[in-house]
Amino acid sequence: MADMKVGAYLCQGCGLGERLDIKGLATVAQKEGKAQVVREHEFLCNSQGVAMIQKDVAEEGVNRVVIGACSRRAKVEAFQFPTAAVTRVNLREQVIWSQPDTDEARELTQEMAADYIRMGCAEAKKTAVPAINPAAGHNKRILVVGGGITGMTAALEAARGGYDVLLVEKEAALGGFAAKLHRRVPFTEPFADPQDNGVAALAAAVQGESRIQVFLGATTTRTSGAPGAFSVDITTESGPTVTENVGAIVMATGFRPYDASRLPEFGFGSSPLVVDQAGLEALASDAAAKGQAIVRPDGKAVKSVVFVQCAGQRDETGTHLKYCSGHCCNTSIKQAMYFKDQNPNVDTAIIYTDLRTPGNGEDFYRSAQRKGVTFTKGRVAKVETAGDGLTVHFHDLILNDQAATISSVDLVVLATGQVPNSGVDIEAKPAESKDGEARVQSVSILNLTYRQGPDVPQLKYGFTDSHFICFPYETRRTGIYTAGPVRRPMDIAQAVEDATGAALKAIQSVESAAHGRAVHPRAGDLSYPSFRREGCTQCKRCTVECPFGAIDEDEQRYPQFNEGRCRRCGTCMGACPVRVISFENYSIDTVGAQIKAVDVPDEFSEKPRILLLACENDAYPALDMAGMNRRVSSAFVRTIPVRCLGSVNMIWITDALNSGYDGVMLMGCKHGDDYQCHFVKGSELASYRMSKIDDTLKNLNLEVDRVRTLEVAITDIERVPALIDEYAAKINEIGMSPFKGF
Amino acid sequence: MGDLNTSMIEKYRNDFLKEVEANVEEGQWVKMCMQCGVCSGSCPLGPSWEHPPQEIFMMIRAGRRDEVLKSESMWMCTSCYNCIVRCPRELPITHIMHGLANYAHRLGLAPKMNPTRRFAKIFWDNIAKSGRVNELELSMRLYFMDGFKSGVQKGLEMKDIGIGMLKTGRLNPFGLFAHKGCKDIKGIHKMLKKAYEIEDRKKGFVA
Amino acid sequence: MADVVATNETIVVVGGGISGMTAAVEAAETGKDVILLERSPSLGGRVNQLYRYFPKLCHPTCGMEINLRRLRGNPRIRVLTLAEVDRIQGKAGDYKVSVTIRPRYVNDNCTACGACAEAVTREIPNPFNYNLNKMKAVYLPSAMAYPQRYCIDPSLIGTPEAEKAKAACPHDAIDLGMQEQKLTLTAGAVVWATGWRPYDAAKIQPYGYDRFANVITSVEFERLADPRGPTQGRILRPSDGKEAKNIAFIQCAGSRDRNHLKHCSRICCMASLKQTHYVREKYGDEGQSTIYYIDIRAIDRFEDFYQKVKADPRVRFIKSKVANITEDKDTGDVLLHGVDTEGYHRYDARHDLCVLAVGMEPSADIRAVADVKVDASGFIQAASATDGIFGAGCATNALDVNRAVQSATASTLRAVQVVNRMAKVEGQ
Repeated sequence: MADMKVGAYLCQGCGLGERLDIKGLATVAQKEGKAQVVREHEFLCNSQGVAMIQKDVAEEGVNRVVIGACSRRAKVEAFQFPTAAVTRVNLREQVIWSQPDTDEARELTQEMAADYIRMGCAEAKKTAVPAINPAAGHNKRILVVGGGITGMTAALEAARGGYDVLLVEKEAALGGFAAKLHRRVPFTEPFADPQDNGVAALAAAVQGESRIQVFLGATTTRTSGAPGAFSVDITTESGPTVTENVGAIVMATGFRPYDASRLPEFGFGSSPLVVDQAGLEALASDAAAKGQAIVRPDGKAVKSVVFVQCAGQRDETGTHLKYCSGHCCNTSIKQAMYFKDQNPNVDTAIIYTDLRTPGNGEDFYRSAQRKGVTFTKGRVAKVETAGDGLTVHFHDLILNDQAATISSVDLVVLATGQVPNSGVDIEAKPAESKDGEARVQSVSILNLTYRQGPDVPQLKYGFTDSHFICFPYETRRTGIYTAGPVRRPMDIAQAVEDATGAALKAIQSVESAAHGRAVHPRAGDLSYPSFRREGCTQCKRCTVECPFGAIDEDEQRYPQFNEGRCRRCGTCMGACPVRVISFENYSIDTVGAQIKAVDVPDEFSEKPRILLLACENDAYPALDMAGMNRRVSSAFVRTIPVRCLGSVNMIWITDALNSGYDGVMLMGCKHGDDYQCHFVKGSELASYRMSKIDDTLKNLNLEVDRVRTLEVAITDIERVPALIDEYAAKINEIGMSPFKGF
Repeated sequence: MGDLNTSMIEKYRNDFLKEVEANVEEGQWVKMCMQCGVCSGSCPLGPSWEHPPQEIFMMIRAGRRDEVLKSESMWMCTSCYNCIVRCPRELPITHIMHGLANYAHRLGLAPKMNPTRRFAKIFWDNIAKSGRVNELELSMRLYFMDGFKSGVQKGLEMKDIGIGMLKTGRLNPFGLFAHKGCKDIKGIHKMLKKAYEIEDRKKGFVA
Repeated sequence: MADVVATNETIVVVGGGISGMTAAVEAAETGKDVILLERSPSLGGRVNQLYRYFPKLCHPTCGMEINLRRLRGNPRIRVLTLAEVDRIQGKAGDYKVSVTIRPRYVNDNCTACGACAEAVTREIPNPFNYNLNKMKAVYLPSAMAYPQRYCIDPSLIGTPEAEKAKAACPHDAIDLGMQEQKLTLTAGAVVWATGWRPYDAAKIQPYGYDRFANVITSVEFERLADPRGPTQGRILRPSDGKEAKNIAFIQCAGSRDRNHLKHCSRICCMASLKQTHYVREKYGDEGQSTIYYIDIRAIDRFEDFYQKVKADPRVRFIKSKVANITEDKDTGDVLLHGVDTEGYHRYDARHDLCVLAVGMEPSADIRAVADVKVDASGFIQAASATDGIFGAGCATNALDVNRAVQSATASTLRAVQVVNRMAKVEGQ
């Protein structure tokens, strides 16, 4: 890169010109910020203002642009200069709009603005336009693991998008669980009757698609690499292992039914007349193959069937599945129709506590009632063999009859739930391995060579779902997307849609990887982590703490960053005790230089300085919006947005305290079970790290209140300024730092 | 009538729902109920029902034949149609209630002393006789249905209203002797007989 | 708008709620050019008007912030607000989308400094708060509004106030002569993500939404709980501003009802369960929530949330479709009448406030502009292999946010398939 040339541009619009001494700020930028070019403009974001900057970039060689105007969240489109690194100094929302418009406040407001200009110039000098990752992977082939409806759909949709696909299925044929269904729940109007399961047609389409290569009886026995550059061993039962390169992976490994033999109270295992839903599908398919009506396993005719909903699901005792599998009400309705459609005189009763048929499922429910399926709100207590049939004992909740029974039942169908085939639970603690069925399975699916474990992290109950409501395809393993019932309990219609969405994310991942771009949430970021090998102590904190499992260890035990997997949160940078990890546009120095650039008045000035490290996704926007509401807060605070609290390195705190700051606040997202950190663990890690800071403070002979970590939300527009003021008052109470002027 | 009840029990065994579907006016709708209870809540006489409509539907499904058919509940319906208007499944609840009452009556299971049933019977006999209601006769029969003493008592209680109606020409004082039936009384009787036959055949009340 | 460049490799996304934003961002991040059309003055749609999401109780604005950052920084996305589609003609790979753009009366110069709003006094109902309060007729739709530009209500045009606003603007951003514009966009594929609207609660006559001040809808309740809302997050009842501590939630207000919406709207059970949390959040043990329901539909992991709410002693569940509501004129309290069908218990329950969990219906009828099949509820049906117009999110079904985003992502691929086919054709 050519020589660094900093241009500082100060806007006078939006009241900045009236509220601030812009000339004075220009002097600060020039003298203290060492900006080679300093210009003021009455309205910087309009076309002339932008053209002025563009001209400097093009003609004067300015390659570090410092914009002293509004928040980095405003006028983003205007201030884009691809060849220059842009630093935004927020003089509007977080200076003039958050300070009183009074003569008395002018001095402190000006000091605030001057500090932010110093900080902006300091940051600019430490940052650069990222060069594209030289190790970017360019393979655009998609691997789909699992050949059920989900996997086949993902493969087909990706192929139709113009991408080559490898489809790996562990069984000898495509089809998965759905192939065993006699029919499926309807997904088109009038939502009245069971429909063909569609598997044969889908499998034929997959087989006929030239872009898809199918591996049957095969598993993925080793997966390494990164988006755009995965290397996968595919081992076929009969044949050799082949190694293939792919760019992204869709994991569609489906589910298995919950083990009904754990429900002896319902007679499963002791009576052949008790089956689970899968068992009933087998009976129905069998009968259909013979062109007969469904019969009992002993060959006798069926006159009465009872369906037990939520069998081993929605369990409040801790014995069975706690969740609802979502599809089972519709599935039982469909199965009851198998009988009613063959012979309306067969009695079919569905015993449920809440009938869950969302959306157009309501039509299907009504259709079943029309066909004469009986629905009874009740809780089944016991299924007993009586004579030639079964007796179902239940609590009828409508008639409040504890001892209700249905006798002479020929078949009882248990609606057990879906258990995901998600491979190894890499986060399971050994002690927990005996407490639940979901943890028993321990055969890896992807066999990732990742340091953090061989499979995709699970969210809850073994499902590999995203934790984010707005972003359902977040798997914490970049370039690997899960879809279908392995992600969350779901029916076929949902799985088909889910598969299509996951295929898009896989395609997006290979396209982004090829350009060295980050994917969500810092989509498009071209920076990537690098480290100073000679400084590294091989402490492994970065490899352990990366929320995305991006970092492995090489043969010499140094971190290996796998840039394509990186999401640019900076958690590794925050973790590193020797500060060797950095990004070109975000590093220990970009923040450290800002901390040091602030002018810290002496002990007797009565002007404390408080550093606020604010998560750019929650706390920082909340501060902006507080400013938009003209909510005033302490003028002694200097805010630096951080990508994630996880990226906060302890050195920033100690540097700040050592250079005379009176307090440091960290504001990040909520953590815990319902965490809101978009880098998963960042705010939690930060708060863990900060919990250890007391010793450091004691060593420095400082009060523990000098550092405060807070959880905030983006909606805390009132609360964030209040927290700031509260803390400023606290600092006032404990007094100025003794470290000033050292 | 007792015979009809026995034969129905024989015919439908434990399946009261099927019996209702086959024999009760609009009975095929019973299975569509989803137990939301809006009918029971909307009924202006609701608090007087021992078993409100939605519960009756559940009892039918649960096979509580005697309890339903001997119940006073469906006789409470006054045909205000609130339930029909509100039912999210569009069940013709009013009609089903009347159908059940009628069926219970036909089987001889309806509570003998239920006032609605008795009124309905007196009303029907009255209107069927001449094809037109004889109001005075109807009133007299209603007053005296529990015997002479209570009839006189009721008559005295209502005397002001009665006199008022006489004065305004709303009641024919000679109605008992000079009631005008409809033009073709024979034709009406023939028509009703045919209707009975059709209904009985349709519902399987006769072989 | 002459600078809007579109080709048959462009994807036009209609609707700037979370589904449309998702489709736009996902397509652009896959390398496709996107034009995102939004009818209102800013993006975000209905989720932006929610206080919290179920089941995490996190804030929709958080995801909105991320999506906006992805969108603002992406040069492949062009956003047109106040834009409505008049007609879509053509076939997959070759569409002409006719669009009308209503005037904002504020141009790109706007910096959202707010000087114009300060200069005017006229107030209009605030649609962001479902008209529960008023706002200036010159306004920024919300603190998260994108584009971050003010908007002048047409009712102000021609009044002296409009001139005042213009005079107050230091950046020459107000153009009172701005006219409606018509433009025609070329597109290879269209993603239709116009979302849902709450069912008109006044049609459920016995609940008296149009007669009783203290009967409100679930979407309005979100605004009451939100610190950005008309009551600054205090749950106050509309009749007298009294704290509403004893709150009834009526499920299936319009849904699962042949007289209204025949489908189940899926989200309402979870929304009410979530809203009981608002009551607890504000009033603790002094709050009392009662949910009147037919079936609680808390599918998959949502069941956890249901169990959590069930364990709250200040939340009661009554299996009942409420028959009707009356008002105690002296106190403004609402009286709910009905029957608990679990064992037959009649109730006449007094509450401070009643929240109707209103159902979802499609907000726009696509058939008015394009030849696309919808189901009996008006939701767009799945596209065939030859189609190039794809429904996404709640335009296709009653969906929660997570599933709407899933749907939008899937539809994005279908659109990408079409434009990729076009790219090949052109390349040969």
